[in-house]
Amino acid sequence: MMESAPFNSRRIVIWLGRLLLGGIFIYAGYSKVFLPNHFYWPLPMLKFSIAANLSNFGFQVDSYKLLSPSGVSFVAHSLPFAEILLGLLLLIGWRLPIWGAIVTLLLAGFVAAVTRAYLLHMNINCGCFAAPEPVSVKKILEDCFMLLLALLMTVFAFQETRRPHPWSAPEKSNA
Amino acid sequence: MTRRSTLALVPALAIVLTGSVPLMAAPPDTQKSTAAKSKSSSEPQGAPQVSLATISVDGVNDIDPTKAFGSKNAAVVMEIFSDFQCPACKQLFTQTTQRVMDNYVNNNKVYLVHRDFPLPMHAYSREAASYSRAAAHIGRCEVVEQALFQNQEKWEVNGDVKGTVAAVLSAADMKKVQALVDSKALEPLIEKDKQIGQLVPVNQTPTAIIRTKDGQSYPVVGFVSFDVLKTLLDQLAK
Repeated sequence: MMESAPFNSRRIVIWLGRLLLGGIFIYAGYSKVFLPNHFYWPLPMLKFSIAANLSNFGFQVDSYKLLSPSGVSFVAHSLPFAEILLGLLLLIGWRLPIWGAIVTLLLAGFVAAVTRAYLLHMNINCGCFAAPEPVSVKKILEDCFMLLLALLMTVFAFQETRRPHPWSAPEKSNA
Repeated sequence: MTRRSTLALVPALAIVLTGSVPLMAAPPDTQKSTAAKSKSSSEPQGAPQVSLATISVDGVNDIDPTKAFGSKNAAVVMEIFSDFQCPACKQLFTQTTQRVMDNYVNNNKVYLVHRDFPLPMHAYSREAASYSRAAAHIGRCEVVEQALFQNQEKWEVNGDVKGTVAAVLSAADMKKVQALVDSKALEPLIEKDKQIGQLVPVNQTPTAIIRTKDGQSYPVVGFVSFDVLKTLLDQLAK
């Protein structure tokens, strides 16, 4: 039987998900840590800048009224770095099913939080990036699109691991 | 001309002269104030006389002294551009600015300038800025700003800015504030703050510009906790 080309639709979705979601996650994390305040030098100013940005992000997290103060502080100080790490892992592609599943769960959480805020008519910013963006239908749709992409990427990544394409499967020894 | 008609003109001439002499004799300033008085006759009664004069401190111009706190000789000048209806501005005011007032402004380390930057997306923030400015001009700035920020969730829903302000002022003070708001005499100062903010530029509220005497300036955008801000202020106010 004739083999299909290695770059089939399944792989296109995986590549698209890795590049798009990886890039978005890295930028989202970077913007929360280094923007809107961006003093890079001297070192105490860099420290102040990062602390101010994380404090700013903490306010955005708190505005969802979902977490206790310690929970807000934990999320504000860990999520941006987790986003950068996950973004890098997606781009690298190492253990994609695992990191893809975590990204999918994270995005599902974002969609739920943003939708809840929208339905409750909370006049807040989504806190997705450094620039303030009010919670809106557009924002929910964007998040849903990313969630769908992450889900497809993860499912296809699992399929690739279980049934790798013949061209990329490890060669069997001819013993 | 007959003698009788000449005599009839004398009282008329006297009346004209009596009316015009004080006007001619009055200095230009008095003429201006007379004109202003006639202009303000259409304004609501009871509006206290206010000054639109602004000051400059360490190169920071157009400061309304009624919305500025602390010593002009302080090592740091901190301008805060905020919007009364913005949640992050409320957070900054209640959690950070008040502690900056206690720890730095009252110790003459920081000169704090409050700039109004009402955003068009907020229905009542301009009205709140007007009431706050009017209250500042009768010496009740802090109490009104506190009331507006602390009750933000209420008046942003029902639009009752006036009621929120009235709840913390005496009837006499409220009458003065209302007269100032109705007269719109202080609107140019709010506009001036907005223009200054647009030049910075202020892209989101709150934005604080922290300036030192040697000309360094640090824009701090968004909410920042007191503990974090303290690290910067301690370094700059040495």
